[in-house]
Amino acid sequence: MNLNQVFFLTILATLALAASVLATDLPRTAEHDYDAPRPGSYKLPIVKPAADGEVLDSEGQPLRLRELTRDRVTVMSFIYTRCAAANACPMATGVLMDLHRLTAEDGALASKLRLVSMSFDPLNDTPERMAAYSAMGDSRKSAGEWRFITTASPEKLKPILDAYGQAVDRKKNPRDPTGPLNHTLRVFLIDRKGNIRNIYSSGTLDLRLVLADVRTLLAEQPN
Amino acid sequence: MTTAKLNTLLPLLRAVLASVAAVAALGANDVRADETCSSPYLARIEGQEEFVYVWTLGVEGLGDGADKLVTIDVKPGSPTYGKVIHTHSLDGRHEAHHGGFTDDRRQLWLSGLETSKIFIFDVYTNPAKPRYVKTIDNFEKITGGAVGPHGVYALPGRVLTPCLSNSKDHGGRTALVEFSNDGDYIATHWLPTKDTPGIAGAEFADGYGYDARVLPRKNVLLTTSFTGWKNYTRAFGDLAKDAEAMKQFGNSMALWNFHTRQPKKVFRVPGAPLEIRWAWGEKHNYAFTATALGSKLWLCYEDDNGEWQAKEVAHVGPEGGVLPVDISLSADDKTLFVDCFGDGKVRVFDVSNPHKPREIYEKTIGRQVNMVSQSWDGKRLYFSSSLLARWDKSGDDNDQFVRAYHWDGKQLKPAFDLDFNALKLGRPHHMLFGATKIGS
Repeated sequence: MNLNQVFFLTILATLALAASVLATDLPRTAEHDYDAPRPGSYKLPIVKPAADGEVLDSEGQPLRLRELTRDRVTVMSFIYTRCAAANACPMATGVLMDLHRLTAEDGALASKLRLVSMSFDPLNDTPERMAAYSAMGDSRKSAGEWRFITTASPEKLKPILDAYGQAVDRKKNPRDPTGPLNHTLRVFLIDRKGNIRNIYSSGTLDLRLVLADVRTLLAEQPN
Repeated sequence: MTTAKLNTLLPLLRAVLASVAAVAALGANDVRADETCSSPYLARIEGQEEFVYVWTLGVEGLGDGADKLVTIDVKPGSPTYGKVIHTHSLDGRHEAHHGGFTDDRRQLWLSGLETSKIFIFDVYTNPAKPRYVKTIDNFEKITGGAVGPHGVYALPGRVLTPCLSNSKDHGGRTALVEFSNDGDYIATHWLPTKDTPGIAGAEFADGYGYDARVLPRKNVLLTTSFTGWKNYTRAFGDLAKDAEAMKQFGNSMALWNFHTRQPKKVFRVPGAPLEIRWAWGEKHNYAFTATALGSKLWLCYEDDNGEWQAKEVAHVGPEGGVLPVDISLSADDKTLFVDCFGDGKVRVFDVSNPHKPREIYEKTIGRQVNMVSQSWDGKRLYFSSSLLARWDKSGDDNDQFVRAYHWDGKQLKPAFDLDFNALKLGRPHHMLFGATKIGS
């Protein structure tokens, strides 16, 4: 095993550790000390339509965001890869990692669920960097779709952030150890028709709740 | 793996390792600024509050007579410290009451109890001069009959508005309403009644509402109960003589599954339980409320069996009661400030043992006092005077002020005093903290 392989496995093991406290097979945690609801036993009203925009995939190919927020239930996380705030982007990516792992073990879920990590730091998070970030994903072929996208410029990004209500500001200290940006944590649950049905932040981003919500939407009639 | 890819991933690894370490370090000592009673989902002020926003009721014949948002400079060392630096008057009077921020703290929403309008301000572009954005003026229609929007409570990407009444009979039956941060209606959740299926304690459910607050760690939402439009828009002296009307006050708290928005258990809490203050400690599974008419402190708590309970834990003031209204719990969960409208005093309780609060201090703030906002470090407290336009005291007792104090753990020492009558501003009610530096 060469140095690169050791490094890469270290990353995956570290992220798995970070995410493992959110695994569904663990009954409760100190931060989420309750039983998850039964899917379909509650309603998720429409919050608002998921907005469109011009984005780039991890190969630098342009596409419309709406292509990634329709036809499947989508869990979309706004992130930036330099974020090291405890309850922010790494936590969100950890939950998406767990979801991705679950899709690798559940073919039905894999065929109906899409994960999207969308950067709000386009000058740093280039398509190449997003491609590197995609190493988070479960490498099994059975795993479902997880797209890593960015935008070509801050000008292309702004209308998307405005539409989703994703607040981002530069910190006064660009060398802040938790990263140079202040932002609210936003993870969106989007139904197959492109409507936002839930919005999670650090207080509600519990894998068990997200999974219950995903299955609640999947139980709805597609049309 | 290429060198370029390696270089890309190195900072990522550092970030993840840092975050894991930070997660491990998180705990009760997680230091944040801000007022202690705000939503746990709210972006936090970094450092000390710089502005106090005061939602103020207009008074006919006083100044412009309109409800207004008043901004006070509270930045230490500022040449205008303790002064009003900005006002924005709205059109008419709406029974200005409570307000709250969206979770990103970019908007301040202010509700009017009488007209059921919600006024939205931008406090992000220039926090020293909030900018009016728009009004939600079709509340009754879009919510399916809820009226009297009371609180404004930040949830992730949305706002929860507990109401006080309904359009059908203007009584106390009411609902919780959700809006997106854009101000678009999402859902209405009616408070449980005796007919609501699947809840424990249904016999205590009266359908009334007042406050609504979440303990995320336990996925529970707690609601309290006040009275309907017919009562809170009536002169208090007149109301107090109407025995039938005085029966139309809430006597319940309801515990909900927050994620599903489904009520699970109702507690009998006689005498209009008002503000809810969840403890902040990571193992403190309890909340306080005060009953205005009962003059009691109540505790809602999870018992050793994981069951939620509610019980009276203290009387407030002398026999006969003092109308405890707003309460404020310190960030370390040890000190509870209780504003008493009846005698204008704040009473301070040691609540280190939440089951046995012990009064340790009292001070007269004015001839009447209603709201209190406390800084996260517990060193600064701001008091305001007005309860409701028709319930405030009259004549010389109609003291209208915002008064700031420093708390040293033993006593309150005056910081500044603003006379809202002399300034021709009106009746100050809810106070919220603003700042130029907002964190995540």
